[in-house]
Amino acid sequence: MIRCGYCGHEFAEEEGIRSCGKCGKPGGCRMVRCPKCFYENPPEAKAPKTLRKVIDLLKK
Amino acid sequence: MFERKRSLPADGTPAGAVTRKVALVGNPNVGKSVLFNALTGAYVAVSNYPGTSVEVSRGSASFEGGSWEIIDTPGMYSILPITEEERVAREILLTERPDVVLHVLDARNLERMLVMTLQLVEAGLPVILVVNIMDEAERMGLEIDIPLLQEKLGIPVIGAATAKKRGLPEIRKAIASCDAAHHASFGYSRRLEGDIAEIAGLLSGEYTLSGKSLALLLLQRDEEIAALVAGKEGDRAGAIAEKVREKTFERRESFHLDLSLERKGIVKGLLAGVLRTPEKRRVTAGERLSSWAVHPLTGVPLLLAVLYYGLYQFVGVFGAGTLVDFLEGTLFEEYFNPWIIGVVNGIVPWEIIRELIVGEYGIITLGLRYAVGIILPIVATFFLFFSVLEDSGYFPRLALLVDRIFKKFGLTGRAVIPMVLGFGCDTMATMVTRTLETTRERIIATVLLTLAIPCSAQLGVIMALLSQAPGALLVWSVCLLLIFLVVGFLSAKVMPGETPMFYMELPPMRLPQLSNVMTKTYTRMQWYFMEILPLFILASVLLWLGKITNFFDKLVNWMEPVMAFIGLPRDAAVAFIFGFFRRDYGAAGLYDLQTKGLMDPRQLVVAAVTLTLFVPCVAQFLMMKKERGLKSATLIALFVSVVAVGSGWALNRFILFTGIL
Ligand SMILES: [Zn+2]
Repeated sequence: MIRCGYCGHEFAEEEGIRSCGKCGKPGGCRMVRCPKCFYENPPEAKAPKTLRKVIDLLKK
Repeated sequence: MFERKRSLPADGTPAGAVTRKVALVGNPNVGKSVLFNALTGAYVAVSNYPGTSVEVSRGSASFEGGSWEIIDTPGMYSILPITEEERVAREILLTERPDVVLHVLDARNLERMLVMTLQLVEAGLPVILVVNIMDEAERMGLEIDIPLLQEKLGIPVIGAATAKKRGLPEIRKAIASCDAAHHASFGYSRRLEGDIAEIAGLLSGEYTLSGKSLALLLLQRDEEIAALVAGKEGDRAGAIAEKVREKTFERRESFHLDLSLERKGIVKGLLAGVLRTPEKRRVTAGERLSSWAVHPLTGVPLLLAVLYYGLYQFVGVFGAGTLVDFLEGTLFEEYFNPWIIGVVNGIVPWEIIRELIVGEYGIITLGLRYAVGIILPIVATFFLFFSVLEDSGYFPRLALLVDRIFKKFGLTGRAVIPMVLGFGCDTMATMVTRTLETTRERIIATVLLTLAIPCSAQLGVIMALLSQAPGALLVWSVCLLLIFLVVGFLSAKVMPGETPMFYMELPPMRLPQLSNVMTKTYTRMQWYFMEILPLFILASVLLWLGKITNFFDKLVNWMEPVMAFIGLPRDAAVAFIFGFFRRDYGAAGLYDLQTKGLMDPRQLVVAAVTLTLFVPCVAQFLMMKKERGLKSATLIALFVSVVAVGSGWALNRFILFTGIL
């Protein structure tokens, strides 16, 4: 889950609004925008995300 | 379909009984899933809602002599949907017509979350309210009179702590004996009730939601409901749409806000006598800080303190001073550069290639040195500071504080959101101006963004640069603030219009968590670095090309009069040329000039102000063109450039005249 740094809304990375690709940065920016307020949040870093998936898998 | 426990039998019900439906609704994180699991036991199926990527869990249960299908709907904040989850949740309420709607909310946020209970009850749905997480609320010292709340709402209300299995038998009993017909009704202001009655009176189809609820949704321009009504009303649909248009036009400025305030008022009334906070409620440090942060009298000094310690001391003095001195001054200039120049000179026989790699604008001696030696330590400290503020929940408070101050200068409040975003990335923020209501707001916001909001990386470098010369930072800040206010005030005057109200719910303030801060800083730095390193290398190559073809010299010569006009040395043109690629690159160019001793504090501050005011970079111009059209974008860019050079000139004159630096 990403906790929006602006409005505090918690959302899954998939729910967020992805890079618009219009800013001309190579590959677009990687920021994930909050679906409620549009604030841009950095995506979850790879390592914790993988770890969480493993934990989820173990739980099942 | 993806199965978690055991799948349902083919017909979705355990054999035999008549199954009734229970839908669980509520915000995310209120313990809805825990309750769902506690109610359902063994039979659960999770599947995507048709046509969406939203998962819905269904399970079955038998208790109190009945059999039930329990549906766990996705999180929703309001009956008026914004996200896909909310849309699906409402769709379930509309089409599946559950026999019981179990609204689960967090006892600690009763006041905020009761607004949705109100909406559900008003819609005529068979609601049971579960006030969950009572244990935590009690620990905080909150007392909630559940029977009184039940009496006032006219629906079953159960206090629970589902994680501790408290309240589960009562919930089961309430589900079994739910009586949909019985609930209280809430009145709005006479004017709003009048509007509702006029529209609801025109509806004659059969709907799951009440006429009152439908009328309010129509007035809030809910397109799905408009389509639903149009489908059911046949030839009366035109008249209804016309009436809705008439009413929404009459109240176009403030309908959402009015409604939200009226609902909050009703909730306040409901909670009177229900919610008791102890006489001496412990006000947490976070709450106290939070109220300081939004009140102008305390908020402004707090903001200044944050800026002084965070930006000036930490980013400026520590990041740009200590760290850059070490990385750029010692590591690069004393050890790495002489070594790599020696190595390259030894292997590469051609002067021109040597220039490309280790020359004045060489890929390694300029590109890599700027990126690693100057930008890296500054953005690292800056992003660290930024992430700490972000994680503490300070930004929305800042928005409210700034909003109060801005309004006095005729600025729109909602524009605070793209403004705050502008510190992250102007390009993005320019796109977000689209969310503003009026064209007037959008234009003012775009002008201010383009002009006076530096992106965070540029801000970092400029802070760093100016904190080396005492007083320069103060002059720069005052200058930008002044320009910002004057331009904002003038734009508001030039384009008159009403200023809509800005309204925002504040998330709790909290102590930043080390792991969050570290992750965010690391991620931001990683992306930033991956983004700028190729650009720096490309810029080095272009500059090298410019140098060997003498084009660069011509450009510098051509810009010399402009530089002279604002009192800058000829070499400062280099920084401005860098700045066209990216503003932070330009700022790094200034930094280089300063360390070479080519600029005095006056020139430094003039250059920094002019560079900050300039249209940020090629990317932002393109975005502006896309959002505002070529004509508006060119005009804004032209205006901004004139203001930038003009301010540079005026500031230079002013400093020379007063001799303050
Ligand atoms: Zn948000």
